[in-house]
Amino acid sequence: MKVHVDLAICVGHGRCYELAPEVFDESESRGHCVIRHAEIPPELEDQARRAVENCPEQALRSEEG
Amino acid sequence: MSSKPEAGLLNLFDPEVAAAPQPHFKEMRSRCPVSRNGLNGGAVLTRYEDVIHALRHPEIFSSEMGAASIGNKRPLIPLQLDPPQQTRFRKLLDPLFSRKRVWRLESEVRELANQLIDQFVDHGECEFNHEFAVPYPCTVFLRLMGLPLEDLDTFLGFKDNIIRPDVDVNDLEQAQRIRNETGEKIYAYFENFLEERSLRPKDDLITHFMTAEVDGEKLTREEILDICYLFLLGGLDTVTASLGCFVSYLAQNPDQRRRLVESPSLIEPAVEEMLRWETPVVQVVRILKQDTTVGGVELRKGETVTLVLGSADTDDAEFVDAARVDLERRRNRHLAFGGGPHRCLGSHLARMELRIAMEELHRRIPVYAIRPGESPRYSPAIREVVYLPLFFGEGVGA
Repeated sequence: MKVHVDLAICVGHGRCYELAPEVFDESESRGHCVIRHAEIPPELEDQARRAVENCPEQALRSEEG
Repeated sequence: MSSKPEAGLLNLFDPEVAAAPQPHFKEMRSRCPVSRNGLNGGAVLTRYEDVIHALRHPEIFSSEMGAASIGNKRPLIPLQLDPPQQTRFRKLLDPLFSRKRVWRLESEVRELANQLIDQFVDHGECEFNHEFAVPYPCTVFLRLMGLPLEDLDTFLGFKDNIIRPDVDVNDLEQAQRIRNETGEKIYAYFENFLEERSLRPKDDLITHFMTAEVDGEKLTREEILDICYLFLLGGLDTVTASLGCFVSYLAQNPDQRRRLVESPSLIEPAVEEMLRWETPVVQVVRILKQDTTVGGVELRKGETVTLVLGSADTDDAEFVDAARVDLERRRNRHLAFGGGPHRCLGSHLARMELRIAMEELHRRIPVYAIRPGESPRYSPAIREVVYLPLFFGEGVGA
């Protein structure tokens, strides 16, 4: 599984790094989403999905595979 | 013609509606999701889909000055600027309110929460708004800014005169007069304060604003004033309102309260769910920069558009079983902090304060109820629970 962020839409709500801190980090500059893993380890997939579902801007997208 | 507001948006200014606005939102969405009952006959958007669309398109739905009049002479920074000018200031401000940065305050904030609880825990009752919901976030905010704690009552007077001037809800002229006079006082206070800080700099946000650079340029004196003006309104009112709404809800829904006490790990999602359900900042206002169509309704350039965040957050089209308060809700893309480029700058600080307050309150006072024979009083627009009598003495139950 992979996740993608559209940084043109992300405004730093920070739900992703709050709900899935092992998958996402916050950028130093403005608190935007930073993805820690190119490929999400299986044990983190559920938190990654949860973050995707909770992004108020719908800036995150998951790619199952 | 009657001067009484039509049924629809404006009855949100009725305190009884403010106490439980959700059924009114539902009615607005089903009867007329895009109505013309707003400010100056402007449009009112009530559906989640339309509200988030407007929030994300500042080039159409501008938040420039004129959209709302709150006693200020120049645009409040960064709220009443649109990108790209707004972005310049958010680049400076966002890092100061990042999640990492605000969580450094955790132990200090937790200690403050406990000090406030210490003052009433043995009394068996309290008036929650004045004894906790007001002093808690205001103290955090004033310390952060470097403003004197002894001036808190002055600041509270300022922001109440701007947000909820004490006049008849239909006397808009008198309300505006109070706002303008108060605006003058706010500018004068901060002018003075900046003068003093320039002589004696400290390790606080206001000193930081005086030395910081954005894109290689320092902020002007006026820009700093315009930031301080906005911070005063945003920093002193919204967490107070949220705490009141949450505690009032939990005092009246003991099953939900018990769940939080039994499983403190529920507090994180519960804060989000209560933010969704209560949405203390009920609405935000925009002004149209161009003609556009929303939900099949044609809107014209120059029109005022009210985005009812509270209605968006209780919309069944977005939320599964929207009218149910589900403390474990899995998908919760609520807009209590707005969205798009104007997403609440203080959202990380607010979330931290709310979470810590919920943890400490329920740890120390696990059982509480509304004091028998009384009821909470809500103020409209920003739903501060101005009177919240709690009882937690002997005989309160479990």
